[in-house]
Amino acid sequence: MSLQNFLTALDSLKREAIDTLQSVADAEALEAARVKYAGQKKGALKDVQKLMGSVASEDRKTAGMGFNEAKNAIADALQAATDRFSQGGASGADPTFDPSLPGVRPRIGHVHPITQTITHLTEIMGRMGFEAAEGPEVEDPHHNFVALNIPEDHPARDPLDNFYLATAQAAEKSNTEGSRLLRSQTSTVQIRVMENKQPPIRVISLGRVYRPDDPDATHFPMFHQMEGLLVDKHVTMANLKTVLRVFATNYLGDDVQIRFRPSFFPFTEPSVEVDFLWDGQWIEFGGAGMVDPNVFKAVGYDPDQVSGFAFGLGVERLCMRRHGIKDIRDLYSGDMRFLSQF
Amino acid sequence: MLVSWKWLSNYVDLPSDRPEVEDRLSLSGLNHEGTEAPGPENGLTEGDVCIDLEVTSNRGDCLGHIGVAREIAVLYNRELKIPNVTLAASQADVASLLSVRNEDTGSCPRYTARVIQGVKVGPSPQWMQDALQAVGIGVVNNVVDATNYVMMECGQPLHAFDYSKIADKTIVVRRAVAEETLTAIDHKDYALTSDMCVIADAAQASAVAGVMGGADSEVNDQTTDVVIEAAIFLPLSVRRTARALKLHSPSSFRFERRVDPVGLDWASRRVCQLITEIAGGSVAEGVVDTAAEVPARDAIELRLDQIERLLGIVVPAAEVDRILVALGCQCEQSIAEGCGSFVPPPWRHDLTRPADLIEEVARIYGYDKIPEDSPIPVAPSSKRVFDSATEKIRTVMIAAGISEAMTPSVVTKGLDGSLSPWTERPALMTQTPMLKGAKSLRRTLMPSLLQARANNWAMASIHADLFEIAHIYLPGKTEADLPEELYTVGFVCGCDFFTAKGVIESLCQMMGVSGALQVEPVQRDGFVAGQIVQLKLGDADLGYLGVVAPKTLKQWKLPGEVVVAELSIPAFLAQAKLVPQQQVVSMFPSVERDLNFVMAEAVRWNELESIVRAAVGNQLKAVTYRETYRDPERDGKDTKRILLSLQLQKDDATLSGEEADALVQSVIGDCRRKLGAELLG
Repeated sequence: MSLQNFLTALDSLKREAIDTLQSVADAEALEAARVKYAGQKKGALKDVQKLMGSVASEDRKTAGMGFNEAKNAIADALQAATDRFSQGGASGADPTFDPSLPGVRPRIGHVHPITQTITHLTEIMGRMGFEAAEGPEVEDPHHNFVALNIPEDHPARDPLDNFYLATAQAAEKSNTEGSRLLRSQTSTVQIRVMENKQPPIRVISLGRVYRPDDPDATHFPMFHQMEGLLVDKHVTMANLKTVLRVFATNYLGDDVQIRFRPSFFPFTEPSVEVDFLWDGQWIEFGGAGMVDPNVFKAVGYDPDQVSGFAFGLGVERLCMRRHGIKDIRDLYSGDMRFLSQF
Repeated sequence: MLVSWKWLSNYVDLPSDRPEVEDRLSLSGLNHEGTEAPGPENGLTEGDVCIDLEVTSNRGDCLGHIGVAREIAVLYNRELKIPNVTLAASQADVASLLSVRNEDTGSCPRYTARVIQGVKVGPSPQWMQDALQAVGIGVVNNVVDATNYVMMECGQPLHAFDYSKIADKTIVVRRAVAEETLTAIDHKDYALTSDMCVIADAAQASAVAGVMGGADSEVNDQTTDVVIEAAIFLPLSVRRTARALKLHSPSSFRFERRVDPVGLDWASRRVCQLITEIAGGSVAEGVVDTAAEVPARDAIELRLDQIERLLGIVVPAAEVDRILVALGCQCEQSIAEGCGSFVPPPWRHDLTRPADLIEEVARIYGYDKIPEDSPIPVAPSSKRVFDSATEKIRTVMIAAGISEAMTPSVVTKGLDGSLSPWTERPALMTQTPMLKGAKSLRRTLMPSLLQARANNWAMASIHADLFEIAHIYLPGKTEADLPEELYTVGFVCGCDFFTAKGVIESLCQMMGVSGALQVEPVQRDGFVAGQIVQLKLGDADLGYLGVVAPKTLKQWKLPGEVVVAELSIPAFLAQAKLVPQQQVVSMFPSVERDLNFVMAEAVRWNELESIVRAAVGNQLKAVTYRETYRDPERDGKDTKRILLSLQLQKDDATLSGEEADALVQSVIGDCRRKLGAELLG
C-alpha cells in the first residue's frame, strides 16, 4: 500500500470518527462509537494500524507519525464526548436539557367566579335537600309585589326603584308603574313554585335581579340573589337558624356563629337580618324570616296548616368576599385580565 | 333616627352601660349604626352623645325619642314616662277664630288645628336649642323650634302657620290646581300638580301637605298669633309628592311611615303647652278637628301554641303578656290560659295578626334563645338537567380556550341594533336606563360579547375569546305579551368559521345529541354574505353561527377575523342525552380507503357525505373529510377535488378485501350517478 493511500484512509477515518463522536446524542451512542473506532479488538483504528505493515518501510516512520496523530485526535474527541455526558453525573443526562424552562400550557378558558359561587351554593343547599328552581326575569307586578304582600302604596314599588318596561300607555319617559318589570328579587320564583306545587317544598332560586343603583365599587344595577324556601307542616325559626348555620359552616369551612337581628320584609313575619361571625367580625349575610301568612294565602295555602321559612343572600357579596374581589364592576366587565384569575 | 342620650333620659331611667343598650337595641330591631360624642362637627353639648339608629319602614313609631324610650323600657323592664299635658283655660274659642275644610280626605284622613294668640316670637331657651342641635336640627325661633322638638319627641310632624296670613281665616285641604306654584320655607319655588295635596287658605296654597310649609305663612318676628297643624297625611300621597318635587323633609319621612292617629292630639296639645311656656300667649279653647272619631282597633287572638309552632321554642305565658302590654297593647285576656287577646296600640300600624305579635314577643324575648340544632328531615334533591347541561357546555367552552363572561342584560340602542339574528321585532325597553343609555332588553348575546372583546382589545390588546350563558328576551307578537326568555350560550372568537363550528360540533357530541348538526345559509345584517348560517338539529332550530362583517367590526375597532355564535339551550336539551351509553366497539380490523373525487363546485360536502353514508350502510364506521383542491387547468372551470377517507368495518367478522372493494365501488357508483362526481386515479 502506498503511503498516500494509507494517509488518505487514515484521514477519512479520523474525520468520520471525530464527526460521529461530536454528534453522539447519548451515552449509548457514545459507547457504540467508541467500540467502532477505538475498540481494542475490532476497532477501525486497529484495522488501519494493521495496514501499516504493508506500507513501504522507508515510509513507515511517516505513516507511524500520521497514525499516532490520528489516534490522539480520536482519543481527544472520545474524551470530549465522554466529558460531555459525565457532566450530569453518572446518569449520562444531556446537559442541554433544562427542566426549569417554563412548560407549554394548553390554552384553556376560565369559568366566571359568579358561576363558581353559584355552583358552590347550589351544591351546599343540595346536600340539605334543596332543589334549584328558576323563573322569568321579566315579571308582572303580581309576582314581584302583590303575591309577596307588597301593597300598592309600598315604597318598594316606586318606579325609581324598579326597571319597569316602557309600553304604549306608559311612554318611555314617564316613570310610571308599568304592567311588566325586570324582577327586583328572586322571591318571585318562590311564588311561582308554590302556585304550581303543594307542600312540602324545598327549593332555592338563583338568578339575575335588577334595581336602579348607580354603579360603584359595591353597587351594580344587575346582581344575583340566592333565595331558599322551605314549606312543610311544622317548620320553625329554629329550623331556619339551623339550616343557615349549617350553610355558613359549609361555605366558610369552619364552625360559624350566627345571629338574628329583627328586620322588616313584607313577605316574612317575623323577619330577621342574618349575621355570621367571621374572623371575629359580625358580617351581614342576608335577610330571612318565616313566610308571611298573606303570602301563603296568595298562593292558596292555608297558613294554619303549613309554615315555612325563606331566606335570601346576595351572591356577589359572598363571591367577592371569598375571592378578595374589591370592585363589583369587575365582575361584569368581561375583562380577561380579571376573568383569567379564576 | 338620631337620638340624643340626654333627651332620651327624660322618658326612661337609662341603664348606665350605654354600649350594652346599643347592642340590645340592635338585636331587638333598632340597628345601631354609630354613636357620636361632642365635637366640632356636631352640636352636641358636654355629657351628651348622639346615637344613630336604623328604623325599618314598618316602625314609624320609633321616629321619636319616646318610641325609642319605650323599646328600652320594655327591654329592661322599666317604666316609660310620658309628659303630662295640661292647657290653661282660655276665653277665646277656636271655632270662632278658624275653620277648616277638608276636600281631600283621600290624602288627609284627619286634620286638626289649634290657635295660640299673643305669642312673642324670639329665640327658644337653651335646653331646647341644645336638644335640637344634638340631633342635627337647625334652630329657627321659639315657635318653630317647639314644633320640631315635639316632632322629635313623639314622631308626629307639626306645622305652625302665621294666623294673620291666613286669608278668610279658613284652611282648605285640597288638591293643587293647574299651574299653581308655592314658595316653600326653603325659599325655592315649586310647581304643583293636581295629584298633590296642599294646605291652602281661601286664596292660595300655603303648604305642601306633609312635606313643607310655605314662605308666605311662616312664623317670623312679627307673628303674634299662630295656627298649629297636627294632621295625618297618607304615605302614598306624601311619598309621590316628595318624590315629584325632589323635596324630602323630616315631616315627609315620618308621614311616609305613618303617624299615630290618636297620638296626634297629644302632640298638638304638647306643642301648644311648650309654646305658651317659652313664647307666652294663650291657647284658644278647643280644637278644629275634621275627624275626631278614630275607629277602635280589633283585638288579636294569640295562642301559646302558635308561638311555639312558629319559633320552635316555648316562651313563658307571663313573659308574653308582659312584653305585649309593655309595648302598649291592651290585654283583654291573658295568654296564661292558652289563648290571649290583645288590642294593639294605635301607633303600631304593623300589628294586625297573630304572626305580628309573635314577632314582637320573639324580638324582645331574644332571638338568641332560638336554638341552632333543630335539623330538618332529610329529603332527596336532584340536580336539574339544565344544570348538568350547562356544566357540560362550560367544560367544552373552557377546553376550547374560551372564557366565561357576564355582561349586562340591558344594552344601548346601538348595541341592540348591530346584530339581531333571532328576531326582527323591536327590543323591549325599560323606562329608566340601567347603565349609560342602556334601555333595550337584549335580543342576542352576540353584541354584548363583541363589546367585551372590543374592550379587551382597546384596554390591553388582548384577543379575548368569550362566552356567556344568559337569557335573551325575544319580544312577543304584541306589546302585551310577556317576552320569550330564551337561555342561550353565545360566544365570540378570533378564529375562522370552521374552528368555531368545530366547537359547536364538540358541544353536540358532549351533549349526546344524536342527530347531525346542519347548517342553512341565511341573510342577516352585520355578517359576511354567505357566511352566516342557521344551525339546525333535525328540524329544530339550534341557533346561529357567522363571520362578522368587517364593516360591523369597525364599529368596535376590532382587528382580524371574528366569528360569533349563539345556541338555544332548550333546543340543545330537547335532543341531548346527558347520560352517555356505551357503544360496542368491533373487535375486527377495519379497512381504510382514500377516495379522491372531482365534482362541480356547487356540490356541498354534506350532500357528498350523505351519499357516501347511504351507499355503504352500517359497515361504514367513519367518513372523514381530508381536503379540497382546485385545478381548473386539469379539471375544468367551476370544479373541485375532494379527498375523503372511508373507514370500513364489520362488527361480527373481518371485512375481506373483496367486500371492501365492493363497498367502495358502490360509493364510486353512487357519487357518479347522483352527483356527477368522478373518481380520480
